[in-house]
Amino acid sequence: MAQARIPNRSDNTREARIGSGARVRGRIHGDGPLVVEGQVEGDVAIVGDLTVMSGGNVEGANIEAASVTIAGALQGDVSAKGPVRLVAGARVRGNLRGSAVSIEEGARFAGRLDCEFDLPPELTNANRSEERGRAGSRR
Amino acid sequence: MTTTVIGAGITVEGEVTTDEDIVVAGTLRGKVQAKEGVTIESGAVVEADVAASSLVIAGALTGNVSAVERVDLQAGARVIGNVKAARVTIADGAQFKGNVDMDV
Repeated sequence: MAQARIPNRSDNTREARIGSGARVRGRIHGDGPLVVEGQVEGDVAIVGDLTVMSGGNVEGANIEAASVTIAGALQGDVSAKGPVRLVAGARVRGNLRGSAVSIEEGARFAGRLDCEFDLPPELTNANRSEERGRAGSRR
Repeated sequence: MTTTVIGAGITVEGEVTTDEDIVVAGTLRGKVQAKEGVTIESGAVVEADVAASSLVIAGALTGNVSAVERVDLQAGARVIGNVKAARVTIADGAQFKGNVDMDV
């Protein structure tokens, strides 16, 4: 009796991937990580890292992940617990929130950035002009 | 060719369409259409109608299945739904409830 292809366990318990020829219309949620090489139209809410590869396209109202790295296209509001990275080739439209946001040369972005971080004390009090004078730098 | 993998902790609710293979180890609710093979691993839960060129099922599937070539239910599979394919195998230990249509 001919046996169909036996699934290879080792390479697919770690990562979830939407392949380049695939399109998902709907919600994706759960424990990450998730790599998108195809198209996703819908919300994404994962506990792990989200990577949108070059050629991937995510259109969602809300995208939540531990960290988000985008080399492809993304439209939507991104909320990450960790860093949000737009690498060269990324085209992103939407609001990004994360612990840190980086936009590399070659990435294109339109939207708002929202990062939670503490400014150093010198910049938060009213002595800004004094500070500038002392440092001698021009802004 | 990149396989689409729905990992064990992931749930997808909606339609999944692909030109290539899909491996489901997590949960999928909705509809699946693949040009190549669909593998539903042991532990996966699929509540969807699935259309593919071939299917290997080792997990739980509720829905209608339609394959161009073949459908194989492996031991541990639990399938509730109708199966339509040119070739069908149901291994000892697989559970199945539904109709089988082999285009006879």
